[in-house]
Amino acid sequence: MKLNNTHHAAIGALLACTTAVPSAALADDLNVILFSMPYTQGLDQLEADFEEKTGHTVNIDVVGQDVFESRITLSFTGQTGDLDVVHTPVIQVQRWIEAGWLQPITAAVDAMDTKDDILSGPLDAYLVNGERWALPFFAETGMMAYRTDLLADAGYDQAPENWAEMLEASAALKANDQAALAMRVAPGQGFNMFVYPMIMRAYGGTFFADYPTDLTPNMNTAEGLEALDVYASLMNDFGPEGIGNFNFGEVAAAMQSGQVAMIVDGTSIVAQALDPDASQFADQISIAAVPTGPNGRSPAIAVHGLGVPADAPNAEASFAFIEWATSEDVLTKIALMEAYPDFTRASVAQNAEVIAKYESIHPEFLNLKVQMLGDAIGHYRPLLPQWPQMGATIGENINAAVNGIMTYEEALETSDQDIADIMAE
Amino acid sequence: MRRHDMSVKQIAGVIMMLVFLAFTFLPIIWAIILSFRPKTHLFEPIWQSPAQLTWDNFDTLARSDFPFALFNSLVTAGTSTILAMIIGVPAGFALAKGRSHRKFIASWALLLLRMAPPVGFVIPLFLIYLNVGLLDTWAGLIAAYMVLTLPMVVWSSWTSLSQIPDELIEASLLDGATLFQTLYKVVLPAARPGIVATAVLAFLIAWNDFFFALIITRGDTVTAPVAIMNFVSYATVDWGSIALASIVLTLPTVPVIIFANRYIVQSMGGAVKG
Repeated sequence: MKLNNTHHAAIGALLACTTAVPSAALADDLNVILFSMPYTQGLDQLEADFEEKTGHTVNIDVVGQDVFESRITLSFTGQTGDLDVVHTPVIQVQRWIEAGWLQPITAAVDAMDTKDDILSGPLDAYLVNGERWALPFFAETGMMAYRTDLLADAGYDQAPENWAEMLEASAALKANDQAALAMRVAPGQGFNMFVYPMIMRAYGGTFFADYPTDLTPNMNTAEGLEALDVYASLMNDFGPEGIGNFNFGEVAAAMQSGQVAMIVDGTSIVAQALDPDASQFADQISIAAVPTGPNGRSPAIAVHGLGVPADAPNAEASFAFIEWATSEDVLTKIALMEAYPDFTRASVAQNAEVIAKYESIHPEFLNLKVQMLGDAIGHYRPLLPQWPQMGATIGENINAAVNGIMTYEEALETSDQDIADIMAE
Repeated sequence: MRRHDMSVKQIAGVIMMLVFLAFTFLPIIWAIILSFRPKTHLFEPIWQSPAQLTWDNFDTLARSDFPFALFNSLVTAGTSTILAMIIGVPAGFALAKGRSHRKFIASWALLLLRMAPPVGFVIPLFLIYLNVGLLDTWAGLIAAYMVLTLPMVVWSSWTSLSQIPDELIEASLLDGATLFQTLYKVVLPAARPGIVATAVLAFLIAWNDFFFALIITRGDTVTAPVAIMNFVSYATVDWGSIALASIVLTLPTVPVIIFANRYIVQSMGGAVKG
């Protein structure tokens, strides 16, 4: 059989298609990688606005969190220069700075006309070693959601104000055959270690003897032990079946489906409980502050921003994108388009349409969020380069304690040892 | 007594088979149920609210990047399979019927390529692609898939074509056919079960790949297995869409398997078409 003209044409067409058709991505002026959340999904839809405004073309790639981790690790460690703007969670920023993966944007931020409109807490979360490394677009804090009807049946007309009351209310709910509380228990620095420090710090527990001046491990204390006891009791004695491996998805689903009466988690999860399209009992769910303890209240906090990779070829264009993406106009648009109450500009919080939208979800949502942000401490999770590794290890130990694999003392002692080992590396 | 023993064994066998089938099919059945459940009833047992069904997940999936990713999967897996067959089958034929003294080296090289972990290929490929502009292109992904499929096709064709009697080939050549004509008009029809099975397996290797696509694709060429991961976001896991996407990803393989099942079974039995 000889190849005729048809065969030649087919092969030629195949080669032309495979090499030419989808090769546009890396030809874009700017390549931006973000992991999926309401803000980033909204930003993706506004891509054309940026191109029209600046003349740059941009490829915004919004991916799952695991895909994001793989892509940026390969790009950063290989110094490939294929990324111009990167999603920068504050909890990772110290590690990325130490590894030389980000470039500072201090001068550009300081030259911004609207810098003072950015909430100072989230903005300064990226101030490390005297330099600014990212601009924030998301500041989430801890909050509680509760079923008013179930708590009323158990004899409570409001949410528990402190963790001791939470235990009592949970016992009363259990007496009514109702699982009381769901929180994240799955191990991970962004999973159980996002919520557990709310209890640990409320009871006076700390990761270190005196952060940041004395970094001697300090989890295995009487306060730490009491906090772990409260957390494990709440989960094991009053949580829903299978709580030992609950993550944010299961926590949200448990509240939406009526499986539990209360959750304590981030605002992005609490907002889902209030969403009538996703929650069966949205009209019977209210919100409250994170419970206090003997040492006060310590709501969780998570800040996300946009940074410039160290090997980004055109830092000026990268910052132009970041400035646009975190501008009042863009944040307002996304706050109205998506479930995005975690914006980082004061002007957005004062926008009448934004206020109206979030008041319709719950009249107190924005006010309570501001209150919780005020109570949160910046180093809720220690701002150290070693934290991601440390948080993962401590998370395993705390999870093991809740699941009965370790005693509480063993979990805290092991955590102290693990912290010391990681700090010594 | 013996008959009684046999029936007990048979019953035990049937029970084991049913348990295995349930173990295998329950996740698929569960995924199908999840695909039709609204978010508000996603985690309820189906018998608690059997009437709570929705098409919302279909709408969500249709509006996502998943259909585009599915098309990318089809193009890259299909093209890489065709190219691997075009190159690999003649190579397998040469190894099966040629008179080279270096077949031992070829067999080791092929085995090494088959057994090497994908991560050993993907990092160098990523760096090369970045420099030559093949990152996030169909051509790059197809070439990468051929790294996986070509050694398998050559090895498998070698095995299948070795069973073709030399006399058949000699008769064809004596009748005046060229080697090329002999391969395509005599040898391949006789070895059809093995060749079809090889093509199916090559397609499935590329179709189900996650790792290569994760590293060397971006938004323009993302494939379906990677796109499914994008339903896991910072604060939500869209279980309904994940379940539906998983079912959709499985669907194209079903007719392929049904169509090729006869050949795969024959291939396993080492049959050559008579």
